[in-house]
Amino acid sequence: MPETTSGIEYTKVAEIKGPLMVIDGITKASFDELVEIETSEGERRLGKVLEVGFGKAVVQVFEGTTGLTITGTKAKFLGKTMEMPVSQELLGRVFDGLGRPNDGLPDPIADKFLDVNGEPMNPERREYPTSFIQTGVSVIDGMLTLVRGQKLPIFSGSGMPHNILAAQIARQASVVGTKEDFAVVFAAIGVQYSEAQYFKRSLEESGALRRSVLFLNLADDPAIERIITPRVALTVAEYLAYDLGMHVLAILTDMTNYAEALREISAAREEVPGRKGYPGYLYTDLANNYERAGRIKGKNGSVTQVPILSMPADDITHPIPDLTGYITEGQIVLGRDLFRKGVYPPVNVLMSLSRLMKDGVGEGKTRADHAEVGNQMYDLYSRAQEVRALAEIVGRAGLTGTDLKYLDAGDMFENHFLKQAPDENRNLEETLSRAWEVLSTLPEGELTKIKEKHIKAYYKGSK
Amino acid sequence: MSSNSALERTINKVLSQKETELVSQIDSAFQESLKNLESSRSRLEGERTKIIESARKQAENLKRQIVGSSRLAARNKELVTIETDVNRAFEEARERLANSGKDSSYQALMSKIVEESIPQVASDEVVIECNKNDADLVKKIVADLSKKNARLRASVSDRPITAIGGIRVKSADGTMSFDNTLDSRIERLKPLIRKNIARMLRGEEGEE
Amino acid sequence: MVAKGRIVWVSGPAVKADGMAAAKMYETVEVGDSKLIGEVIRLTGDVAFIQVYESTSGLKPGEPVVGTGQPLSVLLGPGVIGKIYDGIQRPLDEIAEKSGAFIGRGIQTTPVDMKKKYHFKPSVKKGDEVGPGYILGTVEETPLLTHSILVPPDHAQGAKITDVAPEGDYNIEHVIATTEKAGKKVELKMYHKWPVRKPRPYAERYDPTVPLVTGQRVIDTYFPIAKGGTGAIPGGFGTGKTVTMHQIAKWADSKVVVYIGCGERGNEMTEVLVEFPHLLDPRSGRPLMERTVLVANTSNMPVAAREASIYTGVTMAEYYRDMGFDVVLVADSTSRWAEALREMSGRLEEMPAEEGYPSYLASRLAEFYERAGRVRALGSPDRAGSVTLVGAVSPSGADFTEPVTTHTIRFIKTFWALDTRLAYSRHYPSINWMQSYSGYLEDVAKWWRENVSGDWYELRAESYQILQREDTLKEIVRLLGPEALPDEEKLVLEVARMIKIGILQQNSFDKIDTYCSPEKQVKLVKLMVKFFKEAQKALKSEVSLADIRAMPIIPQLLKAKFEIPEDQLSRLADLDKQVDEEFRKLGSASSKSEEVKVVA
Repeated sequence: MPETTSGIEYTKVAEIKGPLMVIDGITKASFDELVEIETSEGERRLGKVLEVGFGKAVVQVFEGTTGLTITGTKAKFLGKTMEMPVSQELLGRVFDGLGRPNDGLPDPIADKFLDVNGEPMNPERREYPTSFIQTGVSVIDGMLTLVRGQKLPIFSGSGMPHNILAAQIARQASVVGTKEDFAVVFAAIGVQYSEAQYFKRSLEESGALRRSVLFLNLADDPAIERIITPRVALTVAEYLAYDLGMHVLAILTDMTNYAEALREISAAREEVPGRKGYPGYLYTDLANNYERAGRIKGKNGSVTQVPILSMPADDITHPIPDLTGYITEGQIVLGRDLFRKGVYPPVNVLMSLSRLMKDGVGEGKTRADHAEVGNQMYDLYSRAQEVRALAEIVGRAGLTGTDLKYLDAGDMFENHFLKQAPDENRNLEETLSRAWEVLSTLPEGELTKIKEKHIKAYYKGSK
Repeated sequence: MSSNSALERTINKVLSQKETELVSQIDSAFQESLKNLESSRSRLEGERTKIIESARKQAENLKRQIVGSSRLAARNKELVTIETDVNRAFEEARERLANSGKDSSYQALMSKIVEESIPQVASDEVVIECNKNDADLVKKIVADLSKKNARLRASVSDRPITAIGGIRVKSADGTMSFDNTLDSRIERLKPLIRKNIARMLRGEEGEE
Repeated sequence: MVAKGRIVWVSGPAVKADGMAAAKMYETVEVGDSKLIGEVIRLTGDVAFIQVYESTSGLKPGEPVVGTGQPLSVLLGPGVIGKIYDGIQRPLDEIAEKSGAFIGRGIQTTPVDMKKKYHFKPSVKKGDEVGPGYILGTVEETPLLTHSILVPPDHAQGAKITDVAPEGDYNIEHVIATTEKAGKKVELKMYHKWPVRKPRPYAERYDPTVPLVTGQRVIDTYFPIAKGGTGAIPGGFGTGKTVTMHQIAKWADSKVVVYIGCGERGNEMTEVLVEFPHLLDPRSGRPLMERTVLVANTSNMPVAAREASIYTGVTMAEYYRDMGFDVVLVADSTSRWAEALREMSGRLEEMPAEEGYPSYLASRLAEFYERAGRVRALGSPDRAGSVTLVGAVSPSGADFTEPVTTHTIRFIKTFWALDTRLAYSRHYPSINWMQSYSGYLEDVAKWWRENVSGDWYELRAESYQILQREDTLKEIVRLLGPEALPDEEKLVLEVARMIKIGILQQNSFDKIDTYCSPEKQVKLVKLMVKFFKEAQKALKSEVSLADIRAMPIIPQLLKAKFEIPEDQLSRLADLDKQVDEEFRKLGSASSKSEEVKVVA
């Protein structure tokens, strides 16, 4: 609840550098406290305390320091951390990157005010995610299964269709055997207007907008605001999930812009940088966002996270995708080669992975052969890629019979299994039967990852 | 004649052969086209169901979209209506507060406000601002306080501020200030009050 | 005298307080009005630099800081097993009871249930002379573990027992023995405290000679680790580091497992919590949780406690070692611990070394791995215990030349290098057999010879040689294609593929394949080596390679790992016979005709 007494205002600005403002003569301020700044022109901005002591407070200004002056700027310390008003009414609303209405409608009437930083979920109270989410996208459902409460990012590159894929997942995601729909929380972090608009339209067209909450920090919005955007979005996602019992799909795009905002602040604070100039705490900071996914024992709702990030120069070893991959439960990597070939979704399956797949599939959940089929498909495509590379050197003529079969199976994998239309919604049965059709082009002896009984039941090829 | 007839025979034979061939050809062509027709019919049928299916899907999508957006639009209209009412209620409350008589309970409130506000700026030399009507009251409260605390150097500013009540305290050098006007107190409580008003408007119980 | 000061500065997990002249280095302090737990990590004049183990959001200058007079310590006694702790030994279940599903701040807890009664059986009597590490008696901590109550290591030598509790049920606060030396009486309870940054003393160090059997073929057979040894698993993300760590924790034949989740995923800790109570120890048939302690500081929990979690874990491991048990400690991931060091070092404004890590990173890593070992414990009766340390390393960008990996390599003897390329082709565990090594190979050979099979060492060498030859041949194939090789060498490629699929690859999620006994391991390797030798002979007697490739036994050899369960190992002997049989047939067929079979 808002406090009744708070708000000491200070006017002694000692220094302004980058996104930071140093205020002097501080007697009462706490770490992480929210600050309201009034410029000499009367414009209001928000900031938070990064460091306080010895009469000084270092304040990070979300909307940037452009136009701030040493004299005439007032900073009011609000005695609380940044909060987001939450209520059911948020559904169907559009907010800016700091959680303020952006759709011409009034401030939401809050049920509660929640600290946007959230609190770490106690692992002892987590419910381990095991419910399969059918996305209707074969490569995901068949080989990179998403489960409720998972965090599975899309690693993309500039110009690739990550937004189309994310929108398709948002439209089609369903838990088989239930009528429960997903609520969608979408956070645009420094993306172009057109991208955000595409997503919004897609939700609108599928009638999902009224169970969605959108947070938009666009490319021309203040960069430092991006530090807050995923936090407000995830705060709302947690509220919808754990207070209202909804299943929430949170899509955060593009986390690379988020990390860059973090780097900007770190540079302004003259901190010792880690790799590529990113702060040493980038891992912890990203984790504080990504770990806000999951399920809680005894509660109905869930937060499933699909963060999207563009890999600078398509480099997966860049600190942002690298650290993300260490935190998230797998990754869906989009490949430039497939994209150039015109394959949608251009998922590079060999680099992709869903860590929780093993727990979401199999007998009683999906189908007994699901996991093994997924493994065998990986193996098939991996061999096919090896043979392709070889064929480029020695030509088809230099290949043995089995190798040739792998070559063809690889093509069929791409055309018959991987490729599908952005509005094509395949159920799991269809996905698995397509997989078996691909596997059946190989001799039976090649299926070393599948148990005899499943081969007997589904294999259609020759001995 | 014989040669003629022989020729004739041959021709006839060839002809008849051709004829049967022709007949069989025509027949097979007929069969073929029948088959084609058959298959094209089923194909057509498939195409038709496909078209109908996609049209149905589209219609369904459209329906979902229309239903979805109209429901959303209705909800948003409701939000705006509530907001207008909330604001009206708010303004009214503010006005009543401003015009209410400054009785003894107000005086008690004011002395509490002054007392709690001065330490906030953590300075012994402070300037207090208030509205025109409260100036005398505040001066009296400050004088009382100064008697209790010898180190306190508090003065009341000559320049009145626009506020419905309460005070603003500034350190003497002006680097620090604390706004404890009734206006700012209401502002801070606004979210809670809005929630209560909205609940009442919706016919629910308000909460403290 | 207890230090009492005031906060003067706050920045993230770092706090400075003045008026702290009475504070000691590494003393635990209570910070702020909400009594957050912190530790003094630098003293300058009367200003203490404190790392705070909880979120400092909302903390402000002027709030109090109070010393406790104690260094950061853990409570050691019955009740620790089966628990899940945060980085400073606060039980997560108790935190949950007090603050719900999300972790609140300033929560006071006790590490173990002080009221629970254990059945104590004394093993000393009045008048006995005892000293540090002596066993006073035992309690059944879990059905899997008989817990010895130890005289604390800092107790006086040569004290007399003046009183000992008779056999019976007591809670751990009960005084179970009293000692006296030179008129000084000491009351001993079932527990004592020990500072986490101080290694527990032991009498003597032994050489590690017994392998830690993990049931993972590539580890046990090819790159074994000894009980009391050290190992590291470096690997980029997605290489299956955590799965490998889980496998070691699940199946290692140690008495106690300490699992430290240091800066890793929340769901992974939950997975252990969900899985371990249901998984049965292959030797005792009891739930694995009855021998496991978890320390969880997930990536979103406060960073300073991450630094402490490693020490908390290893101190508990040493405690069970001192009872004479084999303990394995897996720490996932030491890189996150190093990053926590880096973050605090940055806030202390210390001069950074490579990639911003503090210059003392190497010495801290060395100190940690030095706490491993097989030792003779202090006191009587005479007993040996061990702590095996396995650390995961998460090199940024899967680059093994980064500081944490390079320093770690200097202090460990077994190196399991996880390979991103293998992981991409779904070869799991993605332990690269060319980059990995074990310094214990010769040390443990005797154990294998005496307990499993006389020819383990030779079989391992022979099969490993096939893999080595394949590695060189692959270069030629890459340039010229496989057809450029003679049949003998193509056969090497073929059998290497079989070893990779049938032995090195192991599916942790398959009920049968997840654990492979040493006996089964040797038998599988033997089959592969035999197949290779027979195939070489067959090639020499004019059997075509195509025929060998088409042998029906091959898929069976490849699937034996998951088609043949541990209780049906005799079926491996059938496979052995079938190998003979099929080669015999091939040999007689090729001598009769040149008939070419169709490759299936």
